[in-house]
Amino acid sequence: MTKRQLRTTFEPVLFVLPSVLLLGVFMYYPLVQNFVYSFFRFSAFSSSKVFIGFQNYTHLLKDDIVITALRNNLRYAIVSVIFQVCFGLVLAAILEDRAFRRVSPLFRTMFFIPVTISISVICLLFGFIYRPMDGLLNQFLSLIGLDVLTRPWLGSAKTAIWATIAVSQWQSIGYVMMLFIVAIQKIPEELYEAAEIDGATKIRRFFAITLPQVKEMFFVTTLITVTGSVMVFNEPYILTQGGGPGTSSITIAVHMYQSGFFKDMMGYASTLAVVIFLISIILGILQLAVFKSGED
Amino acid sequence: MYGVKPRNHRRDALSLSQVPILIILLVYFAIIAYPLFWILMSSLKTTEDISVNIWALPKVPQWHNYTDAWRFGISGYFINSIIVTVSTIFAVLVIASLGAYGLSRFKVSWLKYVLIFVMGGMMLNPQVCLIPLYKLLTALKLRNTYWALIIPYTTFRLPLNILLIRTFFLSIPKEIEESAKLDGCTNLQTYARIFVPMSTPIMITGAILTAYYAWNEFMFAIIFIDSNKYRTIPAGLMAFRDALQINWGPLIAGMVIASLPLVLFFLFAQKQFIRGMTAGSVKG
Amino acid sequence: MSKRVVLLISGLLLVTSLMSAQQVTLRFFHRWPQEPRKSYYDALVAEFEKQNPDIKIVMDSVVNDSYKEKIRVLVSSDDIPDVFCSWSDSFAYNLVKSGRIKPLNDMLAKDKAFADSFIQSQIKSFTFDGKIYGLPQTMDGKVFIYNREIFNKAGITKLPSNYDELIELFEALQKKGYKTPILEGLQDPWTISHYLGSMFQLYLPASVTQKDYAEATGAFTDAGYKVVLERFKQIVKYMGPNATSMTHTDVRNLFAAGKLPVMYVQLAEFGLIRQSNPNLKYGYFGFPPFKDGKGEVGYIEGAPEGFMMSSTCKNPAAAEKFLKFIFSLQNAQKFVKDIGAPVAIKGAVTKENSFPELLDAVEILNEAKGMVPWFDNAVNIKVADAFMRGCQALATNDKTIDQVMADVQTAAKIVASEAKKK
Repeated sequence: MTKRQLRTTFEPVLFVLPSVLLLGVFMYYPLVQNFVYSFFRFSAFSSSKVFIGFQNYTHLLKDDIVITALRNNLRYAIVSVIFQVCFGLVLAAILEDRAFRRVSPLFRTMFFIPVTISISVICLLFGFIYRPMDGLLNQFLSLIGLDVLTRPWLGSAKTAIWATIAVSQWQSIGYVMMLFIVAIQKIPEELYEAAEIDGATKIRRFFAITLPQVKEMFFVTTLITVTGSVMVFNEPYILTQGGGPGTSSITIAVHMYQSGFFKDMMGYASTLAVVIFLISIILGILQLAVFKSGED
Repeated sequence: MYGVKPRNHRRDALSLSQVPILIILLVYFAIIAYPLFWILMSSLKTTEDISVNIWALPKVPQWHNYTDAWRFGISGYFINSIIVTVSTIFAVLVIASLGAYGLSRFKVSWLKYVLIFVMGGMMLNPQVCLIPLYKLLTALKLRNTYWALIIPYTTFRLPLNILLIRTFFLSIPKEIEESAKLDGCTNLQTYARIFVPMSTPIMITGAILTAYYAWNEFMFAIIFIDSNKYRTIPAGLMAFRDALQINWGPLIAGMVIASLPLVLFFLFAQKQFIRGMTAGSVKG
Repeated sequence: MSKRVVLLISGLLLVTSLMSAQQVTLRFFHRWPQEPRKSYYDALVAEFEKQNPDIKIVMDSVVNDSYKEKIRVLVSSDDIPDVFCSWSDSFAYNLVKSGRIKPLNDMLAKDKAFADSFIQSQIKSFTFDGKIYGLPQTMDGKVFIYNREIFNKAGITKLPSNYDELIELFEALQKKGYKTPILEGLQDPWTISHYLGSMFQLYLPASVTQKDYAEATGAFTDAGYKVVLERFKQIVKYMGPNATSMTHTDVRNLFAAGKLPVMYVQLAEFGLIRQSNPNLKYGYFGFPPFKDGKGEVGYIEGAPEGFMMSSTCKNPAAAEKFLKFIFSLQNAQKFVKDIGAPVAIKGAVTKENSFPELLDAVEILNEAKGMVPWFDNAVNIKVADAFMRGCQALATNDKTIDQVMADVQTAAKIVASEAKKK
């Protein structure tokens, strides 16, 4: 091989090597390792591992908390799609409507601010909002005469999960709204003008033009919010001290964290990570399929 | 892409039918704005005032809440967050742009497998790697150092940034590269002197995306760092809450300090910020 | 040559010699990043460094629950701090099993006066197989405290001498208009374990708890556990709907503000109550025994906390010096004054540096027949977690007692099978 040939062969290697190394060592190797770990029992503070075959998996099938957690993740997903995607789209359509043109920058900016705030700050804030006696929410309800609605939002198994879900909505509606605004601004103005000449109402125009035109974005945002719902960790970890009361507001990520780092069952935590992996793989494939169809 | 381009509309007067919609907008505005206002207001109140007179404005602004918060530990968390965020941005941009150049400017067959390798990383949920990463970082004696955050953050931000920058590199005309080659530039020189300067906008986008992630990441931050010395703001705030217990004034002031950099950046550079934040989903 | 030049040169020499002097570094890890203890340890370290310019202390701290996790990780790695705090009993024993904790018998034997300065009963909780692995700093125990003013107003004169009377007391308070006669921050799972620990000890025969608390033999099948959970649920009924959304600190503030009749607290909290309201008048009583209970009466749930030294410490002499400094009478007295918690050093709590309730607290501990370790330290964390989470769900009526016990038994089975295979 000549020097020149050598160079053309190895030059691309040099460019992609740092990326491949990092991804290989700190992403793919742990991923593979996680599958191996799921067949062992081990502790965070010792180096010895015991091979136990499928025991973690049989435990998984008998573990009620997994069902509670997955149900809560599903609740997150459904509520997030309704509020973030559907409501976010409606908000975007309203703010892009010319009737609100003059005020929309103000609204748009305000609605987006929570996105820029760290989730731990937001959870601490909602901790204050949900306090049973001197919390903003209960105090506000009493103020407007709705004492009957006051309750220990995070202290009841019936409301804790919904209260934590509400926090994510508060933070993220603005983000999805902004994605839709970007998408709506790409719609050619002529489409609307033609519809207006035909005398279509605004609601009609929304369904006839806006909705079909942002169809792809609709899928994308749905997938983003659903994927996000699988990963929910911070809100229950901070707000309900790891999914309390009992395990009523636990999610699969919190269950994994607690199994591994609180109950010191690292092997079982890896098994739960496998569950998370399978779910995100399914969603990822779906995402790829949608992007493919979008490219055509 | 997002733009604040004024659309060429005739002005419609606010008709009666729009009033209910406006009311909904205003209610939602209040739901978002009031809690934010409440944090700002309460950060200047005494703990007792926060708990007893929750709706009242501070009688005497307690500015010392901010100096207290800073002194009680927020300053350390803040500096750690800056160190981790800046290092992560730097590492991501350098490594990702090199990778993107490799993936966009060479015609070698095996590179398509590298591309799949990178794209696969886009789909992977970082939580899946949590336990092995914890063990790996411990074994490498990196746990409880800045590297324990910088390396995973860089790794998990790489795929998105490589793909973003690659898309941009692909749009750069072949002729520019060829004329550089004629001038005797090596690939590395072409990359450094032509591609990198040309791609400033996409680099800014990538930097914003990465900054947002590194500044706010929580799970790795609480697990890979044990010591107060290296905690970043999201994890530090939790320790801060536990430490202050009932001293709410400084806690809320700390929350404001923690949020300020990104909120201010967003308010003053909305266009770039939103372009960055939306790029993550739209992919260029 | 003028005097000034000589001075300058000698000054420079002094500075350089000081700088070149071998500085020893000690790593010190504790679990009190919060006030008032944070300032106490900051000052303690500063003072020690001033007295010993050749020793530098690198101090770090994380709060309670994180500390439990971190210290176990650190002890298992090569990263172990030189001096660090630890709970006693099974928690300490788990650390000791790593083989990296230094026995302090030699140190104590060499300095008789130092060894004698401790309240000897408290050292027992750090002694395993005849070796002393830790020295106790604070003593602690759990008692009910009550607001004297409220009791006077409600006309309550007799303190409960058994569990039935405790319930009667709550009923009486409710009749007088105190909707929640007792409250606990059940959002903090550990608060539940403190109730359970006392109740199990009082209700169950010692032979049952001994067998069940041990990892290898724990089964938790005795019917008595269900009875205790029923009674726990009965107490929770008086706490109202907010208990599961409050923290222990929230509740203590309510008590300190004079808004709560009864609360179950640690003696170590007396100082915190005093801090938020120095004028509050309150009394105390221990967990009243069950009429049908089979456990021995007169014990108190609680345990000392103290400090340990690593066996891999590079400068054991410096570490010993620092330990002795922590436990000097002067610093112990300052601790009592600053923090208001009982200390395991003889003569540390005096009339001058404390307050009547704290003197009482020391008295309670002296009178107790023995100590019952904190429940969450006494059993494997998986079992404790099943109890704590389960009882949260009991409090919100989300689970039945049978379901909770089933979860506990499953956890115990896992723990037992792991213990056997080790």
